Amino acid sequence: MLVSMKWLKELVDVDLAVPDFVERLDMTGTAVEAVRTRGEELEGVVIGSVLMKEPHPDADKLVYCRVDIGTGDPLRIVCGATNFEVGDKVPVACVGATLPNGLTIKKAKLRGFTSEGMMCSAPELGLGGDATRLLVLPPDAPVGVRFSEYQGTTDTILELEVTPNRPDCLSMAGVAREVAAVTGKTARRPSSAPAESGTPVTESVSVEIADPDLCPRYTGRLIRGVKIGPSPPWLAERVTSAGARSVNNIVDITNLVMFELGQPLHAFDASTLATREGVGAVTVRRARDGEVLTTLDGQRRTLDSEMLVIADDSGAIALAGVMGGESTEVTSETRDILLESACFNPSSVSRTSRSLALISEASMRFERGGDPQGCVDALDRAAALMAEIARGQVAPGIVDAYPVPASDRLLELRVERMNSILGTDIPIEESAAILSALGMEVTPSDSKTLSVSVPTFRSDLEREIDLVEEVVRAWGMERVSSTLPGGRGRIGRLTPRQRWIRRIDATMRAVGLNETMTYAFIDPTDLERTRMSLGEEERFVEIVNPMSEEQAVMRWSLLPGLLRSVSYNQRRGVFDVHLYEIGTVFSTSSGRKLPREHTAVGGVLTGAWSSQVWSGDSHPLDFFDGKGVVEALAEDLGSTGLSLRVSELDWLQPGRSAEVLLDRKAAGWLGEVHPKVAAALGAEPPIVAFELDVDALLDAAHDTRTYTEIPRFPAVTFDVALVVDESVTAERVEQAIRKSGGALLDSVRLFDVYRGKGVPEGSKSLAWALSYRAPDRTLTDDEVRPVHEKLVRKVCAAVNAHLRGE
Amino acid sequence: MSIIDELQSLKAEALASIADAETLSQLDSVRVTFLGKKGSLTRVLRGVGFLPAEERPVVGKISNEVRAVLEAAIQERQAALAEADLAARVSADAIDVTLPGRKRLPGRKHLINQIAEEVVDIFLGLGYMVAEGPEVELDHYNFTALNHPPTHPARSATDTFYVRDLSQGLDEDQGPVTEVLLRTHTSPVQVRVMERQKPPVYVIVPGRVYRRDIADPSHLPQFQQIEGLAVDEGITFGDLKGTLDYVCKELFGRDRMTRFRPHFFPFTEPSAEVDVSCGICAGSGCRFCKKTGWLEILGCGIVDPNVFGYVDVDPEVHTGFAFGMGVERIAALRYDIPDLRMLVEGDMRFLRQF
Ligand SMILES: [Zn+2]
Repeated sequence: MLVSMKWLKELVDVDLAVPDFVERLDMTGTAVEAVRTRGEELEGVVIGSVLMKEPHPDADKLVYCRVDIGTGDPLRIVCGATNFEVGDKVPVACVGATLPNGLTIKKAKLRGFTSEGMMCSAPELGLGGDATRLLVLPPDAPVGVRFSEYQGTTDTILELEVTPNRPDCLSMAGVAREVAAVTGKTARRPSSAPAESGTPVTESVSVEIADPDLCPRYTGRLIRGVKIGPSPPWLAERVTSAGARSVNNIVDITNLVMFELGQPLHAFDASTLATREGVGAVTVRRARDGEVLTTLDGQRRTLDSEMLVIADDSGAIALAGVMGGESTEVTSETRDILLESACFNPSSVSRTSRSLALISEASMRFERGGDPQGCVDALDRAAALMAEIARGQVAPGIVDAYPVPASDRLLELRVERMNSILGTDIPIEESAAILSALGMEVTPSDSKTLSVSVPTFRSDLEREIDLVEEVVRAWGMERVSSTLPGGRGRIGRLTPRQRWIRRIDATMRAVGLNETMTYAFIDPTDLERTRMSLGEEERFVEIVNPMSEEQAVMRWSLLPGLLRSVSYNQRRGVFDVHLYEIGTVFSTSSGRKLPREHTAVGGVLTGAWSSQVWSGDSHPLDFFDGKGVVEALAEDLGSTGLSLRVSELDWLQPGRSAEVLLDRKAAGWLGEVHPKVAAALGAEPPIVAFELDVDALLDAAHDTRTYTEIPRFPAVTFDVALVVDESVTAERVEQAIRKSGGALLDSVRLFDVYRGKGVPEGSKSLAWALSYRAPDRTLTDDEVRPVHEKLVRKVCAAVNAHLRGE
Repeated sequence: MSIIDELQSLKAEALASIADAETLSQLDSVRVTFLGKKGSLTRVLRGVGFLPAEERPVVGKISNEVRAVLEAAIQERQAALAEADLAARVSADAIDVTLPGRKRLPGRKHLINQIAEEVVDIFLGLGYMVAEGPEVELDHYNFTALNHPPTHPARSATDTFYVRDLSQGLDEDQGPVTEVLLRTHTSPVQVRVMERQKPPVYVIVPGRVYRRDIADPSHLPQFQQIEGLAVDEGITFGDLKGTLDYVCKELFGRDRMTRFRPHFFPFTEPSAEVDVSCGICAGSGCRFCKKTGWLEILGCGIVDPNVFGYVDVDPEVHTGFAFGMGVERIAALRYDIPDLRMLVEGDMRFLRQF
């Protein structure tokens, strides 16, 4: 909503300076989005006097002029218009000026003549009138003075953000009322009663509402014998200050009244209405499915039965509250005007304007809620102006279809209750004064309660709490003192699950991974790219209206997003990437309304922990670095049940992939990303990745740890290198060792894996350090040796191993 | 030469050798040569047996003195050599301490989650619990139960992501608006919490939300919000002001001010937008705050009685306040992040800065 300060000051006294005034509006709920100075756009347009006017030698339609603009150096201007004489005063746009239509004036050569400026028509200055004629000013217009200054168009314009609950502030009168209430002034409401003459309106026009649910009120007046023409300057300026274009006197008057009172009006050419026994019969009804209407913008629109139209016996003539029809448009030939002032159902207008992508000043006001009680005021005001400006004769009376007259709403405000909600001590008298200033009728029903009658233009005030808000915003939120809630015995604490997730988060960082966030919506074709698959019954969680096909489904895994981040880094020369994300993954199946949401923790590692270290101890990250992360996580969660199941997962490289089990239950996967998958996502292998289900981790987590005695006696350690077939896993050998260990075996540690000289092809040597310990004495080599040798024999038999070097 | 002379010359010779010993091993061989079982001193003393008995004590005494002197000299020399040896080793071990350390840096938490956790921790301190809710939501929780009229513009398919409803026929064209959507704010959790918990309710709700905005320097189609809700007997608008003023001071600094501007939200009334004073110009107005001296930081209000109606809380008995803040907004204000898209790119060089 654009508010001209000049206009506003006619409706209410404003004695605050602009910045203070803006702050007062801001602090009482009318946000000021911008403050502009009007007339700035006419910077560089000055009044000139034509000194010379000669036909252009090479072009019939051009004239060559010299124009004095008070600088002592008359401008050379080539011009296409001819409606002026030497000595006339005209507006001149100098080089560098930018006109409201966006045109910037440059020095130009026109048919061999230099042109150093442009003489302007009224529309070129944002005013109404004939675009083919120069705007010739009165002879006393002062040469060299800025045009906007001369016109008095210099004005401050406030751009207000009107919240959807305040349609009443979409008018100058409404803003003036609001300003009066929050600055302690009194608003002056513009109104006029037209002088009536001729035969009564009812002899020429009838109105009927067929669908009162969509149209609470429809009123009309007939104005006969109007002269269509350009608007007087004051009118053109008013409508342009509100952001409209000046068209002609009739259109400008309907716009003026809409801006002034907030009531959209529509003017029909009354002679175009189909008549019934000499009377133009207007019906407000739902459109018929497939009914066609050509709107004012020349578009043929196909309507449906959810839309409301104004119709005569020939069919639809206007889209109610949205746009008029071409067949009844006011033209320069129009003599008689049927002026409509009505109230339409907000949702109906909203639906219609959205489905036809037609948003107008009128539809914008109706969809926020009109005021049926305001229709006639606006009708009278516009009719009076049409009589005055367009010299029309206003037919006596109005036509008024108003099936169920609206009445003021009665509310009670319990002032004590209000103060207990606000934490304030606002006296009843002050509350009453605020509500009265906002246009309500307030009477105390007892010493603690106000009885409030809410006028129809404040349809947003429906309940006591709405009145509480009105009082506090005008009284001043800044005056409410700050306190903290009391409340008894409440304790802020994370739930166990939330605490565990923080633990997981901390462990990821402790092992060196950096947290990232990726998009939750991803490309459905990433499913093929990653060679992953959905479960048998599962389907994509599909977005109906995605921003793009690349973000059309919710992620089923963190992997695609994380791999894209790897690619992003690598393409920018960052090759050491260690990322993790804890986030929601989604899955669904047929018949489900809401999908399943799981929290997952996923990670990717590539490059080295730290490349280019001078000490040379960096290694390329591989499967075991990923496994180390998972092991660290299990350890920190107090879980001893971590195991890997060798498994072929299509998105991972065969032989370097595994399922992660916790207490023998599936918890996720771990491995090196398949080179084809990496390539499909633009990333460079090797990349280690894992993804674990957080709830599976939490199921295996143990909060309680028990004390185990620290050994008091030293251990005896024997090393043994066992040569086994490649197919025998380290885990199997370790299990065999532990099984054969007996009571003295304390710890088993793999310290080397060797293939090559001395070890047959197809075999490998696993070197183990076995520690033996007794809790109550120091063991001797001699005591341990037979135990160890027996263990080795058993293990060799169990996994078909032999000692290396034998 | 008498034995005594022999001892004296042996002593002189040994002292010279001790002084000459350059290393600990040389010194040891000197010790063996003179004091060992087969050493010179032993050899000289073998002659004692041939001496008359009355001379023996004198020789014995002198030989003990010689032994003591030599042992002391060896010990002294040994200490000196050990000292020199250590000094040499230390000097050889000198390194360039300016070479980089060997480190495995701990990872960093994402900036947005750092801030979210900070806010959550402030509220834990104020006695709030942390609540969560689904990211894919029903229209009922996201809009209807939050008092959004059916025609509210936020419900349009241009503003909100809708999700295919698989409880409906699969082949059916569901149109652009279904009953299932990506939540546009964390506020639906208010309703979910009040459905399962009677007042008093004090919860803070961090979470990811979605809006149909094209990703650009100042917008992301997904971002993080933090919702707060307090419902109890006697909650006031003043409590809301006090709580948020405290939180803003914790987040931005004790010297920052807040102001509450009346605003409109469907699910609170009275509603306000909260500004925090600009940290760059301290409120006098600069380019960062668009010359206003204030930065808009969150929206809040008193819970609308209509919302209580959906969850069966009596507004005559209980009142409440609610607020919601965008974490990206706080991050952008605190760190002057030039482009919000950096938050979702996963660039290691960005992530490691915070
Ligand atoms: Zn500033």
